[in-house]
Amino acid sequence: MSDQIGAVFAALSDPTRRTVVQSLLQEGSTSVPALTATLPISRQAVAKHLAALEDASLLERMPQTGREVRYRLRGDALAPATAWLKDAESAWEGRLGRLKRAVEKDPQP
Amino acid sequence: MEVRREIEVEASPEEVFEALATEEGRERWLDEPDRQIHVESLDPPERLVWWWGGADEPATRVDFRIVALPAGTRVVVTESMPSFPLAGLSARFELVAA
Repeated sequence: MSDQIGAVFAALSDPTRRTVVQSLLQEGSTSVPALTATLPISRQAVAKHLAALEDASLLERMPQTGREVRYRLRGDALAPATAWLKDAESAWEGRLGRLKRAVEKDPQP
Repeated sequence: MEVRREIEVEASPEEVFEALATEEGRERWLDEPDRQIHVESLDPPERLVWWWGGADEPATRVDFRIVALPAGTRVVVTESMPSFPLAGLSARFELVAA
């Protein structure tokens, strides 16, 4: 789980990739030419960013209809984030319980 | 993206702060040697913020608020992953998924 959330986090730590994800939230799908037209970076740089997002399982290629490869957000893109929230919640439940027992049992002088 | 949990304890804010802010104090309840703690700020006995993370985990920010009650103390902890833009993502995610 932590590897997966780490990959998602790393992918989204880059401002250009966040812009790509943001535009996918608005447009639904995108492609290398479409992004190259709107972003101030090269076609190669765009392709690299899309590959990084694909590696982090945030994007997937859509079934191809024409010559152009189009990308969309994966439906389960947020699953690692949801898992992190659950884990962190139960971890703090346990830690706070231990903290309570520690300070109540063993007060400082 | 953040989680928030709280608990009430029968101890003074100073005792709680001690247990959070010092290594000796943490040894009594926090057994996670693989996570390195880097303290961001200390404001005894009301507030403590640290960052931590394991080797292959992104760093998260842990913010403790220590509130004195008529009898005892309330500890509120918020752990967050600030660079994860979950709010922005999830707000419109339904539209895309549909």
